[in-house]
Amino acid sequence: MINLAQRDIAHSLGKFVTTALGVGMLIGVVLVMIGIYRGMVHDAMIVPNNIAPDLWVVQKDTLGPFAESSRLHEDLKYSLKGFAGVKEVHPLTFQSLQMPKGDKPIRVYALGYESLSSFKPFTLTQGTAIKVRSREIIVDTKTGFILGDKITLGRNIYTVVGLTHKAVSSGGDPMVYLDLHEAQELQFLFSNEQIRNDRVRGAQSTATATVNAFALTLSPGFDSKTVAQEIHRWKHQEVYTQQEQSDILTKNLIERSAKQIGMFTMILLIVSSVIISLIIYTMTMGKIKEIAILKLIGASNFLITKMIAQQSLLMGIIAFAGGAIFANASANHFPKTVILIPSDELKLFLVVIIISILASIGGIRSALRIDPASAIGG
Amino acid sequence: MKKRIISVENLSKTYGEGENAVTAIKEATFDIYSGETVALLGPSGSGKTTLITMIGCITEPTSGKLSLDGELMYDQKWQIYDTRRIRREKIGFIFQAHNLIPFLNVLENVTIVPQMNGIKKATADQKAKELLDYLGVEDKLTKMPSQLSGGQSQRVAIARSLANNPKIILADEPTAALDGERALSVMNLLRKLAHEQEVAIVVVTHDERMLPLFDRILRVEDGIVKETI
Repeated sequence: MINLAQRDIAHSLGKFVTTALGVGMLIGVVLVMIGIYRGMVHDAMIVPNNIAPDLWVVQKDTLGPFAESSRLHEDLKYSLKGFAGVKEVHPLTFQSLQMPKGDKPIRVYALGYESLSSFKPFTLTQGTAIKVRSREIIVDTKTGFILGDKITLGRNIYTVVGLTHKAVSSGGDPMVYLDLHEAQELQFLFSNEQIRNDRVRGAQSTATATVNAFALTLSPGFDSKTVAQEIHRWKHQEVYTQQEQSDILTKNLIERSAKQIGMFTMILLIVSSVIISLIIYTMTMGKIKEIAILKLIGASNFLITKMIAQQSLLMGIIAFAGGAIFANASANHFPKTVILIPSDELKLFLVVIIISILASIGGIRSALRIDPASAIGG
Repeated sequence: MKKRIISVENLSKTYGEGENAVTAIKEATFDIYSGETVALLGPSGSGKTTLITMIGCITEPTSGKLSLDGELMYDQKWQIYDTRRIRREKIGFIFQAHNLIPFLNVLENVTIVPQMNGIKKATADQKAKELLDYLGVEDKLTKMPSQLSGGQSQRVAIARSLANNPKIILADEPTAALDGERALSVMNLLRKLAHEQEVAIVVVTHDERMLPLFDRILRVEDGIVKETI
């Protein structure tokens, strides 16, 4: 049997494909939205996964250090080391910085760590780790800096000695890594003028021995929950396991963003289905005479339904293919990480197919109501 | 011996109800036999189209009886469930404007009806080619309707109407869009088909110049069908 849908599309191929690709752009945006969500979840876990502690110790009654501000005395590390099962304690600072680069500053997320220890919360792709406390800095390639570049931060100039790749914060800002004490100065040291004024007032304001969190590694055989309870009980600080920290990040920190993206995705899907419905309806209404002739010469409702449903399906398939190509081609050009997962693409494809089938219902209903007698002149 | 193909008995069609009721056809009674060409003549609004759509099982009559090729179609109500099957299998339609499907080429426009009847594509193609050859448009097989002249389009439409080996051809002013010479050519062709292929042909026409080409003339005036000698 002649495939009427195929012949009709071939007859106005340019118009059909252009329309489908227009819808495809919408579907591409839906796919990118899903990819942005995946990227957010991925980005949020890069820093915690690179640090990979067994426990996080943060300020009491906070969800720090990523979801809430947290401040602790650095010397707490000595008493933390005294707990049974605690093998290593790594004091850490976290802060957002604006790094000058050319005309525009770059927003980065700085992690301060004890650079002279064996603890390395990053994976270098070029250069070396910080070896001496002499204003050395490790930056992500996303900042655009290269090895040897000089960067002014606060009152000091730092030299780029190492590069990481795709290390970003939960907000998508590129990471930079500093020695702990230099990072503490950047975050906690007041300006010379304020220090002078405070000295006159009799206040001491030069102490910077504050950190935002401690990353603890446990000795084998110790249960992280038990150690966490002990630290919480005796030191009155909040202690989270790595899984709890992961939950805080994904549920608390990016939940609203995820919902926002989910809403946008739903709206775009609804808009896409309305557009496909209108296109299919308009295409069907443009063929009233032809459908009346087909009915008059004996075409069954099944044949007419098949024609419209196939056109709608093909529009959905072409639109999805166009959208997927658009999304995959543009994913790396977005400022934030966009991760396109085949399973997400498959799910969206199935949704588009369902939408296409539903979208054809209006056109089919209209087509079946067409009176074959309208093909005959009065 | 001529076979009775169309049998119409007291067939009526009324649109609307009560005071607004308009009777388009009043108790029409006539028979049409195989090989006959019959003109349905009458002014606009006289009920010709209503009559032809009832015979074509498109419009449901209000009362009376209708039989096609010996099969009772209507007797106070439809006697068959699928009227489209009857149109597919027994009736060919020719329209004033050729009404070819614009997205199908000439060959596909002709083969679509037999293919809907389950005829294999190769067989349908062969038959269509023979018909198009017979009608003098065999060189237009792959052309689209938009690439044909009015006369060529009408010939393709005639080929389509014959593709399912119909017993009846219902034509609605098939020559109205053609100039005098082409109109005469098409009418002669229909007459030839009726006689050669034993098809009953009913043609709605306004054109009294064509009347000598018909075997019989049915005049429709104010819904009343009368045979004219």
